[in-house]
Amino acid sequence: MSDMTELNEPVEDGHLVRDEVRRISKSVHARRVATSRLMMVLCAVALLVAAVPLVMLIAELVKNGLPQLNKAFFTTEPQTPTLIAPNAAGGVSNAIVGSLALTVYASVLAIPLGILVGVYLAESESKLASILRVIAQTMAGAPSILMGLFAFSFIVHDLNIGFSALAGSFALAVLMMPVIIIATEIAVRNVPNSLREAGLALGARNHKVSLRIVLPTALSGIVTGTILAISRAVGETAPVLLVIGGGFINQWRPLDPVSSLPLSIFENAKSQWPAQRLQVWGAALVLVAFVFVLSLTARIWATRKQQVRN
Amino acid sequence: MTLVPTDLHVHDEAVAEFNSATADRTWYHFVLLGAAVLFGIISVGFVGTIFWSSLPTWLHHGVTLLTGKGWSSPNGPFGGLAMIVGTLETSLIALALAVLVGLGTSIAIVFLVPRRLRNIIATLVELLAAVPSVVYGLWGLAVLSPWMAVTVNPWLNSWPFAKVLFGNPGQEFGTSLLLASIVLGIMILPTFVAISREVIAVVPQDLIEASLSLGATRWQVIREVVLPTAKIGLFGATFLALARATGETVAVALVAGGVADAQFHLLYPGTSIAAWIALTFGESQGNEIAALMALGVLLMLLNFGFSMISRALVNRQRKILAIV
Amino acid sequence: MADIQSKTATTESISRGPIAMQLRDVAVSFHGRTAVRDCTFDIAKNQVTSLIGPSGSGKTTLLRALNRLHDLTPGAKVTGQILLDGVDIYRGNVTVTELRTRVGMVFQRPNPFPTMSIYDNAVSGLRFNGIKKKSLLDEAAESSLRSAALWDSVSSRLKVSASNLSGGEQQRLCIARALALDPEVLLMDEPTSALDPVATLRIEELMTSLKSRVTVVIVTHNMQQAARISDDCAFLLMGEDRAGELIEFDTTEKIFNNPVDSRTLDYTLGRFG
Repeated sequence: MSDMTELNEPVEDGHLVRDEVRRISKSVHARRVATSRLMMVLCAVALLVAAVPLVMLIAELVKNGLPQLNKAFFTTEPQTPTLIAPNAAGGVSNAIVGSLALTVYASVLAIPLGILVGVYLAESESKLASILRVIAQTMAGAPSILMGLFAFSFIVHDLNIGFSALAGSFALAVLMMPVIIIATEIAVRNVPNSLREAGLALGARNHKVSLRIVLPTALSGIVTGTILAISRAVGETAPVLLVIGGGFINQWRPLDPVSSLPLSIFENAKSQWPAQRLQVWGAALVLVAFVFVLSLTARIWATRKQQVRN
Repeated sequence: MTLVPTDLHVHDEAVAEFNSATADRTWYHFVLLGAAVLFGIISVGFVGTIFWSSLPTWLHHGVTLLTGKGWSSPNGPFGGLAMIVGTLETSLIALALAVLVGLGTSIAIVFLVPRRLRNIIATLVELLAAVPSVVYGLWGLAVLSPWMAVTVNPWLNSWPFAKVLFGNPGQEFGTSLLLASIVLGIMILPTFVAISREVIAVVPQDLIEASLSLGATRWQVIREVVLPTAKIGLFGATFLALARATGETVAVALVAGGVADAQFHLLYPGTSIAAWIALTFGESQGNEIAALMALGVLLMLLNFGFSMISRALVNRQRKILAIV
Repeated sequence: MADIQSKTATTESISRGPIAMQLRDVAVSFHGRTAVRDCTFDIAKNQVTSLIGPSGSGKTTLLRALNRLHDLTPGAKVTGQILLDGVDIYRGNVTVTELRTRVGMVFQRPNPFPTMSIYDNAVSGLRFNGIKKKSLLDEAAESSLRSAALWDSVSSRLKVSASNLSGGEQQRLCIARALALDPEVLLMDEPTSALDPVATLRIEELMTSLKSRVTVVIVTHNMQQAARISDDCAFLLMGEDRAGELIEFDTTEKIFNNPVDSRTLDYTLGRFG
């Protein structure tokens, strides 16, 4: 306690400082409180401003899209309206069939490979793994139009396969893969080490532990990531725009040119025929509903996983 | 050997373990490694193919692509200035809008919204981010653009200096660089909010209570303690939003007007790199395709740069908060 | 109510010197569930008062009521009266920000602001309250850092980030930060629980030396610490309905040597808790 004397020193004039501080503090108090209130109100306003477009968008979607939905919308192929029959826009069955085909093929290409790469990143400490991790993260944010350019150069042009569902699903698979890889790596890394060690202690081999213990435990995380990847791919226009060819008839084979929901929206949004411009809203509503269902499923799956773990 | 049977036993176990490890190498690890290598090849192919296809343009018309005005199909010259400036212009304005509204939104979600509602809002933000961009484009084209043409643009043109700021095309275009910026801003808002909300929410409660205990008002706590602590992560969120904005394609293609005449006033129609590729690729051949590929290379560099900066910043923020 | 009076009857019998804060039948509840209640005692000016009791007895909850830190917690409600200089801090003519400049707080884990320098940390309270005058800030920084026995080791590196200090130094910086506003009361919530024994000892010495300048209220889990440094002692215990309540309040000497309630004796002897 050698510094006791020193400690007591400031006490003498301490209250002079206190008085001045209290005086100044009191004089600016009202302004400080007012500023605080104002800024918090502005933040609340920002929240409302952010919510307005969402509400407007959903309202327009439902208002314009719902009247379009009938049996013919889903089951007939589209037609170009003519002066004689300006309202004959047909349905969007070609786009629905095309979207389904593209999604299925892209999933087949992307999901197994994405999961394997994700497991590799989680279980390997190699230099290759750390490079691939950065690549996956960068690719996950890459503009989707670039996947279209890639698919065009490689599939349509170099391999001379032409405009086809295969080229489109290749572009979508390149888009989905990084998302699946990242989700899988996180899910596998989150599996507690104790589980792995328990398996090894029972004499299981490394790959058996990986296949029978680690992957099933990580499954829900992997599924969540995969659903999110699919929901992103379903809604993408830019990558498929350059390579799938489009067309009015229901086609689904890998080497056929196909259409897709986003593509038909993009192409008809500026149509000169009011009937087509209206029909586009129906397609948009179906697309958004599908994407929302997928996202919500992924989210519910993710929270259920957390509850199980708790 | 017979003298040390226990050692032998240990040795056997070690051999067994070694064998199992090599057995693993023979197929399971081989499959994983094969997948990883395949992904590596695809990634290299992704970058390489686009670059390779653009090579003719870089070799012969590189300067024109970077600085030329005007794009004349099908034989060129192919000037990319309108697209490059249009991309930066729309992205930066969109970013300003999104950061301004998004920061306020994140603060409101963390500090004003009751805990029970927070999850619902987080879900809504996620859904908003999941809406396909073509739907935003459709909405911008069909709903916002008539409104811009009839109401907003005449109002903006009545401002002093409006001609300098926005340009006055003489006729009212609904689709314009300004509308593209607004739609982009709305589209990247969820991306920005998702990260900035998380970064703000993980600022330790300790620090907030310490500043409250020193007599700080709520806004002072946010301004002097929360935002500075979250600063690096917020910059990370900003760059991620910027990376998204530069890459957005079909929405911009629908609402920007799709004109490449390098007229950068906000009320004029214009275009961006990604939108221009989407709009012209279908009709193009030969040299024009190479020029569009070259625009793709520029877009890739821009996007990869921004997303690398973003990742570095967010990672640094995670480390800082781990120490705190 | 009569029951409360009998339990804490000793309050009346202590009449030494001036009083800094008075608690009258204070209770805190969250979403209608009582966390602590029946707290009636006086905090003597320029003394160290300790709040002791096992986990869940509501010590920290009670302490945080003394500078209205529960205000921002949704569903939190404080009833009864807490008087500072005779003024009710919840209903009297005092704003919450002013109250907090008069009743400072030090937390369990050292929590200097990581983005600020040592100097900026020390004067952060003054800056929050609108003081911009350089001379005043410099004076307060030096005086508070001296009071926290930190001046000699940091005076040459005031512009360095506070996160470069050791844990014990960080906690003393947090004390300096609170002292810079020259509060009348300093609340300390287990201020040494995250520190090593040497750093703990230095903080304890500091508390004793601060008595001449400020009234200290400390929550502690450490019986020896309470016995060593405090003048008065409040013992809280979790009741059958899982709400904490005040069992006994008296001089530390009496609580530890000759308590009225047998549960106090059991606790201070380490028979439970």
